[in-house]
Amino acid sequence: MEQKLLIVDDEAHIRMLIGQTLEELEDEGVNFFTAENGEQALEIIQAERPQLVFLDVMMPKMNGMEVCRRVKKELGLNDVFIVLLTAKGQELDRQKGQEVGADVYMTKPFDPEKILEKAREVLQLQN
Amino acid sequence: MLKLSLKTILSKKNETASIIASLIERLNASVWIEDDTGNILLGNRSETCKVEQVIKVDNEPVGVVRGDETANIVAAIINQSIQKEAEKKKLGSEVLNLYQEINLIYNFSERLAQAIDAPTISAITLEEAGRVIKSNGGVVLLWDEATERLKILASSGALFFVEEKLYSEIRLLSKILLSGQSEIITDVSALSQAGILLPEVRSVIYSALKVNKRTMGAIILSSNELVQYTAADLKLLTTLALQSSAAIESALLYEKNLREAKEREEAMRLVYEATGKFVPYEFIGSLGHNVITDVKLGDQVEKIVTVLFSDIRDYTSLSEQMSPEENFKFVCSFNERMGPAIRKHNGFINQYLGDAIMAIFPRNAEDALLAAIEMQKEVQDLNRIRASNNQTPIQMGVGMHTGPLIMGITGDEDRMDATTISDSVNIASRLESLTKHYSVNIILSESSLKQIERKEGFHLRSLGLVQLKGKREAVEIHECFDSNALPDMEKKLNTLAAFNEGVSFFLNKSFHEANLAFKKVVDVDPGDHTAKFFYRNTKKIIDEGVFENGVGIVAMHEK
Repeated sequence: MEQKLLIVDDEAHIRMLIGQTLEELEDEGVNFFTAENGEQALEIIQAERPQLVFLDVMMPKMNGMEVCRRVKKELGLNDVFIVLLTAKGQELDRQKGQEVGADVYMTKPFDPEKILEKAREVLQLQN
Repeated sequence: MLKLSLKTILSKKNETASIIASLIERLNASVWIEDDTGNILLGNRSETCKVEQVIKVDNEPVGVVRGDETANIVAAIINQSIQKEAEKKKLGSEVLNLYQEINLIYNFSERLAQAIDAPTISAITLEEAGRVIKSNGGVVLLWDEATERLKILASSGALFFVEEKLYSEIRLLSKILLSGQSEIITDVSALSQAGILLPEVRSVIYSALKVNKRTMGAIILSSNELVQYTAADLKLLTTLALQSSAAIESALLYEKNLREAKEREEAMRLVYEATGKFVPYEFIGSLGHNVITDVKLGDQVEKIVTVLFSDIRDYTSLSEQMSPEENFKFVCSFNERMGPAIRKHNGFINQYLGDAIMAIFPRNAEDALLAAIEMQKEVQDLNRIRASNNQTPIQMGVGMHTGPLIMGITGDEDRMDATTISDSVNIASRLESLTKHYSVNIILSESSLKQIERKEGFHLRSLGLVQLKGKREAVEIHECFDSNALPDMEKKLNTLAAFNEGVSFFLNKSFHEANLAFKKVVDVDPGDHTAKFFYRNTKKIIDEGVFENGVGIVAMHEK
C-alpha cells in the first residue's frame, strides 16, 4: 500500500526541517504532504488517509489539539498515527494530548533522530 | 553526497515534468526520459534516437534523455531543475544540522541545570561531546590554582594520556592548553614524544574552558584513528565548553563558599570553647544568658551556693626555694589536678589566686565536700611523687561555707569581669585559714553540713564554735577527716566519742571536764593535734580564767 506522511505546522521552516529530516524516506517511496493550518490538515487527512501525521499544537485558528480530537474522536480514524509537537514549557499539554487521542507527544526543538526513528517505526520501514 | 533521483524530479509535485510534457507536445517532438535501469519515466520510446544526453547528479549518472534535437532542451531543463533541487537540499541539510546543534545545546543546558558539582558537570559535557564528535576518549582538565597543578575533573572512554606527565610536563601543556585557544591538533608528535599522549593516539581536538577571560582548563577529545575534524566539530566543542565553563565555575565557587562557611563556623566554635575555659559557662548560664556576648554590666544573680577555698600551707617559704619558672610549673601542675576534682563534683573554679583556689558549688554542699576530699587525695598523690624526688611534701587546707552569693559583672564598658560579692566568700576563706590552727585538712561550716543529707557517709568531728574577727555571730565548724591517712582516720574514729564529748563540755563551759576528755584522746592518740589544741586551750582557760566575752567560744584574733 502506498505510504503517506503529513507534516502540519504553521511555520514554514519547521515543515522544511521535518521534511529534510525524513527526506530519505521520500526516496524510499513515501509520499509527503504538508499543511500550514488545521483546516488544511483535516482536508488532507480525510482525502489521503496518511499513516503518519506530525502535528504542531500551537497554530492559529484551529490548533493541533482540535485537529487530533476531530480525527480520533469524531471521525474515528484510528489508523492515522498522530505525533503532537509542542514547544518546551508547554508540557502540560501532555495530559490534554492523551485526552484527545494523540499517539505520541514530542517537544520542540525536536530531536531529528527521534523523529526519523518514530517515522520508520510507524511506517514499518526498517533501516 | 546528494541523493536525488530522476523520478523525484519528474514527480507530480514538481512542475518540471508538466513543463517538459507540454514542451514535447507543443513542438511535436520525440523525446523520452529513462532512469538508470532503463525504465521510462516520461514520454514514449520511438525509433528516432539522434540525441542521447546522460543526466548526472554529483557526477553519477541517474538517467538518460533520448530522442530528436528537442532532447537537448529537455536535458537542459532537467539539469536546471536538478541544480535548483540540489541547492534546496543543500540548504535544507545545513539548516537541519544547525537545528540539530540547537537541539543538542538545549538538551545539554537542561542536563547541566541539574548537576551541581564540577566532576558531574564535566562528565555530562564529555558524554554530549563524545556523542557528536568522533572520538575514543575524552578528558576535562582543570587548573587548580591552590596546588598549581592540573586536575582531572572527569574522563571518558579509553585512556589516551599518561597521568604523571600531566603533572610534570606543565610547561608544554600550559602553552597548548592554557593559551585559551580551541584547536584541532593534526600533528600529535610533539605530545607523543614528550610521553604525554599514548602512542596509539592519532588525532586530538580540544577547547579551552574559559570564564571571565581567564582560562581555567580544557576539554580534550582524542581518537586513535586519523580523523579529519571539521570546523563544525570545533565550533560544537567550543559551544559545549563555553556552557560547561560557567557551570563549573559556579560549582567551584559554591563549594568554596561552603568550605569557607564551615571553616568560619569551626573557628567560632573554637573561640566559644576557649572563652568557656576562661569564663565558666555555668556563670553565664546562672546570669540568665545563653551566650557570653549577651553578658553586660550590672548583670547579677543571687543564689545559695557552697564556696570552697583551698590553699597550700607555707607556700611562701616553699616558693622561696624555687625559681620563678619552677614556681609557675609547680602551680600549673597543682592546678591541673585540682580542676578536674572540682568539676567532677559539679563545681566550677571561680578564681585562681596564686596557690589558692576559690571554687563554687551551686548544687549542694555535699558536692563541695566530696571535691575537697578528692583534692586532698590528689595532694597525697602529689606528695608521693615529691617524696620520690626528694622534695618536701606540701600541705593544703580546705575550707567551705554555704550561704547566699551574688555573682555579677562589674567594671566598665571596655573592661568587664565576673565578680562574686558575698560574705560566704569571706567566711569560707577564713575557715580555710583555720585549718592550720586546728591541724585539720578540711573544715566545713554548720550551714554546709546542714545541706548534706547523708552525713553518715562522711567522717566528721565537731570543732565547736568559732568567732571570726569582725563578725557578730559565731560560726559552728566541723572537721572532715575522710581524706586523712588510713591509720590516722582509724585513730580518730576510735577517739571520736571522747572528742565529741570534749567539745560538748567546752561549749557548755565545763572546761574541766572538757580538759579531761581531751586528755583521754591525746593519751590514746598523741598524734591528734586538734585534740592537743583543745587540751591546751582548755588548760589555758582553767589557768588564766575565762576570755573576755565569757562564752565558750574560741576567739580568733587573727584573720
